Amino acid sequence: MRCRILSATLLLAGCGGPLSTLAPSGPVAAEIAWLWWAMLAGAGVITLFVLGLLALAFGRPRETSTRRWTHGLGLWFSLGVLTLLLGAGLVVGERILPRDDGAVTVRAHAFQWGWSFTHEGADGAPVESAGLMHIPAGQPVDILITSEDVIHSFWVPRLAGKMDAIPGRTNRLRLIADSPGVYAGLCAEFCGRGHAGMRFDVQAHADWPPENWPPEPERGRQ
Amino acid sequence: MKWLWWVLAGPTLWAVVFVAVYSAHGAVCAPIPGPEGLTTGARLLLIGIWILGVVAFWPLLRAVPTGTGRAARLPRWGAWIGFFATVFTLFPVVFTTSC
Amino acid sequence: MTDTTASPSEAQAAPADLPRNPPQRALPLNRELAGVWANDRGIWGQITSVSHTTLGLRFMATALVFFAIGGILAMLIRAQLATPDGAFLDTELYNQIFTMHGSIMMFLFAIPMLEGLGIWLLPKMLGTRDMAFPRLTALGYWCYLFGGLIMLTALLFGVAPRDGWFMYTPLSSSAYSPGINADVWLLGVTFVEISAVAAAVEITVTILRQRAPGMKLTEMPLFAWYMLGTSAMMLVGFPPLIAASVLLELERAFDWPFFDPLRGGDPLLWQHLFWLFGHPEVYIIFLPAAGALSTIIPVMCRTRILGYGAIVAAVLGLVFLSFGLWVHHMFTVGIPHMALAFFSAASVLVAVPTAVQVFAWIGTMWKGRPELHLPMYHILGFFLTFVLGGLTGVMLAIVPFNWQAHDTAFVTAHLHYVLIGGFVFPMMAAITYWMPLVTGKARVRGVGEAAFWVILIGFHGTFFVMHLTGLLGMPRRIDVYPDNPEWIWLNLTSSFFGFVMTIGFAMFALDMLLQVTLGTRARRDPWRAPTLDWAMPLPAPSFNFSSLPTARHLDRPASEVMLELACGDGALPGAPRGQREFLVTSVGAARPDHVAHLPGNTSLPFALSSSIGVFVLLVLWQLYLLAGMALVPVAVLIWVWGRGLAPRGPLQPIEIAPGVTLPVHHQARQSLGQSGLVAFLVANAALFASVLFGLAFLSVVTQGPAPPPAMIDTSRIAWATGLIAGAQLLGMALSRGGAPVWAALGLCANAVALIALLAGIVPVLDDPTAHARDALRAAMAAYVGLHLLVACGMAAFVLDQYRRGEITEQIRGAWAPWRLWQDFTSITTLVTILALIAQKGGA
Repeated sequence: MRCRILSATLLLAGCGGPLSTLAPSGPVAAEIAWLWWAMLAGAGVITLFVLGLLALAFGRPRETSTRRWTHGLGLWFSLGVLTLLLGAGLVVGERILPRDDGAVTVRAHAFQWGWSFTHEGADGAPVESAGLMHIPAGQPVDILITSEDVIHSFWVPRLAGKMDAIPGRTNRLRLIADSPGVYAGLCAEFCGRGHAGMRFDVQAHADWPPENWPPEPERGRQ
Repeated sequence: MKWLWWVLAGPTLWAVVFVAVYSAHGAVCAPIPGPEGLTTGARLLLIGIWILGVVAFWPLLRAVPTGTGRAARLPRWGAWIGFFATVFTLFPVVFTTSC
Repeated sequence: MTDTTASPSEAQAAPADLPRNPPQRALPLNRELAGVWANDRGIWGQITSVSHTTLGLRFMATALVFFAIGGILAMLIRAQLATPDGAFLDTELYNQIFTMHGSIMMFLFAIPMLEGLGIWLLPKMLGTRDMAFPRLTALGYWCYLFGGLIMLTALLFGVAPRDGWFMYTPLSSSAYSPGINADVWLLGVTFVEISAVAAAVEITVTILRQRAPGMKLTEMPLFAWYMLGTSAMMLVGFPPLIAASVLLELERAFDWPFFDPLRGGDPLLWQHLFWLFGHPEVYIIFLPAAGALSTIIPVMCRTRILGYGAIVAAVLGLVFLSFGLWVHHMFTVGIPHMALAFFSAASVLVAVPTAVQVFAWIGTMWKGRPELHLPMYHILGFFLTFVLGGLTGVMLAIVPFNWQAHDTAFVTAHLHYVLIGGFVFPMMAAITYWMPLVTGKARVRGVGEAAFWVILIGFHGTFFVMHLTGLLGMPRRIDVYPDNPEWIWLNLTSSFFGFVMTIGFAMFALDMLLQVTLGTRARRDPWRAPTLDWAMPLPAPSFNFSSLPTARHLDRPASEVMLELACGDGALPGAPRGQREFLVTSVGAARPDHVAHLPGNTSLPFALSSSIGVFVLLVLWQLYLLAGMALVPVAVLIWVWGRGLAPRGPLQPIEIAPGVTLPVHHQARQSLGQSGLVAFLVANAALFASVLFGLAFLSVVTQGPAPPPAMIDTSRIAWATGLIAGAQLLGMALSRGGAPVWAALGLCANAVALIALLAGIVPVLDDPTAHARDALRAAMAAYVGLHLLVACGMAAFVLDQYRRGEITEQIRGAWAPWRLWQDFTSITTLVTILALIAQKGGA
């Protein structure tokens, strides 16, 4: 909603789109989007303030206190704003981290140039899929991200931030989809000739684990 | 020339404390695979290094000389820069998820 | 008007000034100096020139040519992205083009541009006649040019690097980047970086030891503080990149697996080392630009800078803090949140010193009366652009937001705001401000202002919307986006305005061209500035000052000072001994210490950099045996270089002012050469520390496969190690001697250590291709071996000086440099031994 209003005023085409970080579909992405709008507002105010001071400089020379500029504005004003912002960033960061809370895990394995996913099937046996990842809707999912060859990066912008796939390491990323549906994902780290086409989809299911593997693609689509 | 060493003292002390806490964190976290973190003891160790670093600025702030000229107080400012940086850049050691 | 700019500095005891020299006629004095300082004639004169004015301008001109080339590449990128299915470039070529765009702008434009500005301007501003090491300036230039040409040639032949300008492994490893593309980057950039280290060394020494007598460190022009910060950062910041490049090249050439996770290496080691360089690099680029702003803004506002001390403190803070931010380029690699938080906090904190400067500049404008000359336009462009870029930078320092925005067009937008706002706009201000000093001509009105507006509109049109493009999910470095119609209008807008911006830059170039060709004669000191760079005729003569400014010439209207200096009022007037001379002063109070005699025009720098170039090309063609042989001419030329420092003729003390007599640098206790070597060893220590960091990182953090059991014959290693350690301790003692026999024994001690290394340790080292641990050991053995070899060479050089009778009671020849090098070598050797023992114990 906020997004619509802002974009309308800015005469922008909109904040939507399948890969938009500004159209979050889960609490992880939503918290970050919230952070963005807050920072945008703050940045806007500060920009106007600084440019206003700059405009006021074009006048008669005037007596002015050195300390007010260097200490008052330069040091304390900026330090205050930044401390506030850093605190907010760290709190949000803590809230969206993966935890040891028994969340569903899905493995995402990147290679030049595509993705394969390994899910835990109903009977505990691993179920693989390529290019389409399945997750439950409405609950936290931890993605265990690995790479076959070079560095890639796993990113589903509407659900969470990105996490690199690095050969020799397993990285963990938490994402949550509010509602069933299909969400677009891509490789964000440049990985060679096929980088632009290294897309995938994430399907969030209402019921988990699905009764039949592979789950039907249409199921749960809003 | 000696004056210049005093200028560098404060920020250098920050760098030393920063490197010490960051490396200690890397070393204690390296064997822990999961997202959850350190034992309380390990965290207390990191906090201890940090506090020690902050306290080390006390003698420095008392000892720094001034000089002459427009940037005469630079050694003192350098010490304050180091102090602020040590407090500010490492305070997350107290509460953030560690490994 | 000048009274505000010329008010005397804060009340304090003025240092005793040098007496005035008797007045002379300006013209003959000028002619005498010009005869000694002029370049040789014609093209050959360009090759042999060691003049800081010639080379500084040439650095900048070459950098601007590379800027134009990088800009053309950017236009190709924008043409490709203007439509979603751009078929303008194929992916392979597109990858080469964006990689080269970034690499050229960073390594072949920004860094050389600031080096050129420093080299050209600092001696003028500090009141001396040249940089500390004129031949090194020339060497740096040729290394830059040849390295840049290698990279450009590769682009023309379609074998340019294509892995992105930060060359992440394993994408840049031989398995995924066969061919020479990545080698071109690694070798070309490292070749170019010789010039960065050279410039950093001489800028540091020049600022600390060549200021006009009485120009105290705490009172020197702010530009010098900024450049001192920059050069210190370059000394510490570039070595990690050089270390990383050498290691990766070793991996590509000889399969030493530093970065291969299957054999105990780690791709993240590359990222750590690269960004350990890469983030300070941003401030290395920004600081000189900020220095130019701090110089120009007060002049444009007819006042003095507000908050001098606070600005110097801000520079100090930036220099240090910027080394604690590098991980914010790696927030998505899976580092624990606590470590991210440290770097997030440091990244946020670094905005404080930046804010202090921005507000000090605005306060200066309040205090004064801003006049809208062309440089001021660009300064306003800077404020608008850089403030926005700084704010998005703070946003990116916030970890969760970074997880979304990282690697998207948002980052592309941010970095262009910071680099164009924080570097290109200030550089345009600097160019338009100092152009009269370069050309001696005044500007043709009109074109410059128009260029500014077109650039400003083009820039913001291109990059402002790009923030949104990134937030809508467009990643960096893709060439097509057929499934994302929502990005089309954004990209088309960016592309359109990108071309507008290009037109603006073309107009800026035209403006400069018009000034050179059609400009009328500029009047002296056109801006009524208080700094010494304007206290000389226009255009600046090769020797800068007919007589050198001293305390009484500082902080006064430049036009007055110029007349006094031109008539020989200052120190060391003319060139009565037919030598290039300037004063060397003490670090803090700038007390005159001695007179330095400089080498004249020589083709040696050209020859040395050419021979290094031959080595680089042979490595590039994988002719490693020949490449090894190509190091022989390099070593010979370095020896010849050292020989060129020998005194010519008997040394007489020189009277620099009535009653003040100083020795020549050969007899000085602390020569410029020694200071320069100390600066170089700081860089060398940073290189060594980078390798040690690699050792610790791979031993502790990397969770790769365990190394194969060491096959080392422990007893043999033990005696060889003991022998090396003993020989090095002896070497340190011997280098403190002072007679030929000590030098001979020192040569022997180093030779024994070298032989023990080569015969005792190298043959029994484990196969370096087996595991990263073994590869690092081999690399460290090579590092130690190289240093021992140089130590042998320096001891031999001292012996040779005795043989030639060049070392006397007063002239200590190469003793001091050898001792410095010997101490460094011995300490690093012992530390290496200890580190390897510790690592063995830990493994």
